[in-house]
This record gives sequence, C-alpha cells and structure tokens, in this order.
Amino acid sequence: MRPDASVESHHFEALGTSCSVFAVGHSHLIEAEFWVRRLGARLTRFSADSELSRLNRDTGDWVPISAELQAIIRAAFRADEMSAGLVNVAVLPSMHAVGYTRPFTEGPGVATLEDLRPLPPLADVLELREGEARLQAGCGVDLGGIAKGWMADRLSATLGADVVVNLGGDLFARGSGPRGDGWPVGLGGSTLLLRDQGAATSSVRRRRWGEMHHLIDPRTGLPAKTGLEEVSVVAASGFEAEVVAKTALLLGPDLAPAYCAAHAMAWWLSDGHDD
Amino acid sequence: MRTFLLKGAATALTMCTTVASALFVTSHLKNPAAPLQPPVLTAANSSSNAAVGGTLTVGPSVQPSNAEPMTSTYAS
Repeated sequence: MRPDASVESHHFEALGTSCSVFAVGHSHLIEAEFWVRRLGARLTRFSADSELSRLNRDTGDWVPISAELQAIIRAAFRADEMSAGLVNVAVLPSMHAVGYTRPFTEGPGVATLEDLRPLPPLADVLELREGEARLQAGCGVDLGGIAKGWMADRLSATLGADVVVNLGGDLFARGSGPRGDGWPVGLGGSTLLLRDQGAATSSVRRRRWGEMHHLIDPRTGLPAKTGLEEVSVVAASGFEAEVVAKTALLLGPDLAPAYCAAHAMAWWLSDGHDD
Repeated sequence: MRTFLLKGAATALTMCTTVASALFVTSHLKNPAAPLQPPVLTAANSSSNAAVGGTLTVGPSVQPSNAEPMTSTYAS
C-alpha cells in the first residue's frame, strides 16, 4: 500500500440523477460532465429532439444512428443474451403503460395496464446494421441503466488510468486508487476495494409510485414482483454489473444467488426484510 | 537352459516394472501442490455475511475494507 495520493473529484446532476467522477492526478474533470451531458441529451427518451426519440418515432424505417448509439444498442443485444431476455431495452411501451411517461421528478402519468402483455424478444423488434437501426412499429426503446453502465465504462477509459466514474450508481473503478489497494466503494452497507471493476444496483425501492415502479419484467410487461427488492453487484465492467444486477432481481431470491455466483464478483441481495 | 532362464527373468522384470509403473501413475493422477495450479481454484470459496436487510457475498477477487467508501453504488 502506498501513501494516499491526492484525489480530484467533480459532482454534477445529469441523466436524471447524481453523477461523480474521482481521479488521482487529474484536473480536468469538468470535461467529463460535458461529455455526459452531451451524450445524455442524445440518448434520453424524454426529449423529442434526441437521437433515441427519433429512432422511437420513425418506427418501420432504417434510421441513421451515431457510433455511440450503435455501440449501446450492440451492448443492449449483449445484455439480452447475458440475461436470456430478462434485460430487454424494448420496454418503452410498458414504461408508458405504467405511467412513466416523463422525467420522474415531474411526477408519474396515468397508468393504463389493460393492453400490457409480455415483451417481444429484442431481436424480433430491433435490427441493427452499420450506422443504422430499425425498430418495428408499435415498439420503443428505453436504454435506462444499460446506457449509464456503458457510459461509465467508456468515460473512465478516456479520463485516465486511475479514476472512478459513478453515473447514478452505475460505476467503474479503473486503476488501483489513492492508496494503491483499490478504490473504496460502498455496496450493501460495506466497503469493497475495486480495481478495474464495475458495480451497479437494481432496485424497486426507487422510482416507484403506488403499486407501480420502473423495473419491468419482460415476462409479464408489468412492474416486477419477484421477492427481491434490491440487488447490488460487482462485475468486470459497469455495464456487466448493471445487467447482472437487473437479471438477478428479476430472477428472484431462489435463482439469484446461483446467477450471481456465475456472473458476479460480489453481490448484495435484499428482500426488504430485516432478518 | 541358461537362455531360457535369462528370457524368463527378463520377462518377469519387464512385467513387474510395468505393473509398478501403472500402480504409481494411477495413485498420482494429480499433484495438489503443483505450482502451476491456478490460484482461483483454491480461493474459490466466497464469504457471505447476512446484514440488516440482506446478504452480502464477496468473492475472492474483491477485497473488503474498513475504510470509508469514496463513492457507492445505489439505486437511482
């Protein structure tokens, strides 16, 4: 272990959440905020002018997309494979049906659950080719945590060799941290030292209103009810941690431990009970 | 007669050596102390701690600490 090195930090609000960047020996972290804001504005479903909204609006046609959106859609297909379809970004119709039609800070919309049904397989409704994507009519994409995890990984790679990027709880810790033994990261009430590892949390405790919440179970199209309330995971990247955490929460308390043991390096499973 | 004895002795020696080698090999299929054994195999046992509200399991590639966290993963 080496003596503490000085750590620069920068905190800001973006992507509808709180973001933080930490770095050893770095003084231009404001650039990270600019990058997150620029990309976030293109990937949000809450702005009619965003790149993602254009894809969601022009269904049935091949829509030109940027290299970043293409990479995130590729990641979404990988998430679909890793989770056997449980992490499905074609979740927008369900989000609208449960009333999540605008930023959460503006309050929920009206839930109309009558037409809800299981989500179609991602590969059936979303196609990707170089520089273009096509979405089937009646479908829509919400990138959610997939984008945050991907962005944390990508941003940390551009910032330097010894940084942590935390975008609303989806984070990647690159390098050995200020003392050389890893970056101290809180997870499940404990501190873990992470080196070149990501972490993420999936929960039904936040962004909920009445009986509704934002985590949709693709098997029903409804907000998930699995017996687990919160899952936090350490994995090889922020993106993988996000996928594993969400999949484990959707699998429920019986299957989540085995899934996490196969895909995660550390995990916190909470069913909301105190015992 | 002497030739016959020599052939018999050589055959017996060969068969004994073969049987002894086979016994030795079958009783030493794997050396647990082999230096090239991946350390992950011996450290694969993760530790689980039940805490208030949930269970934390930490695998061998993550080190717990008593330090204050610099940042945390959380639901947003």
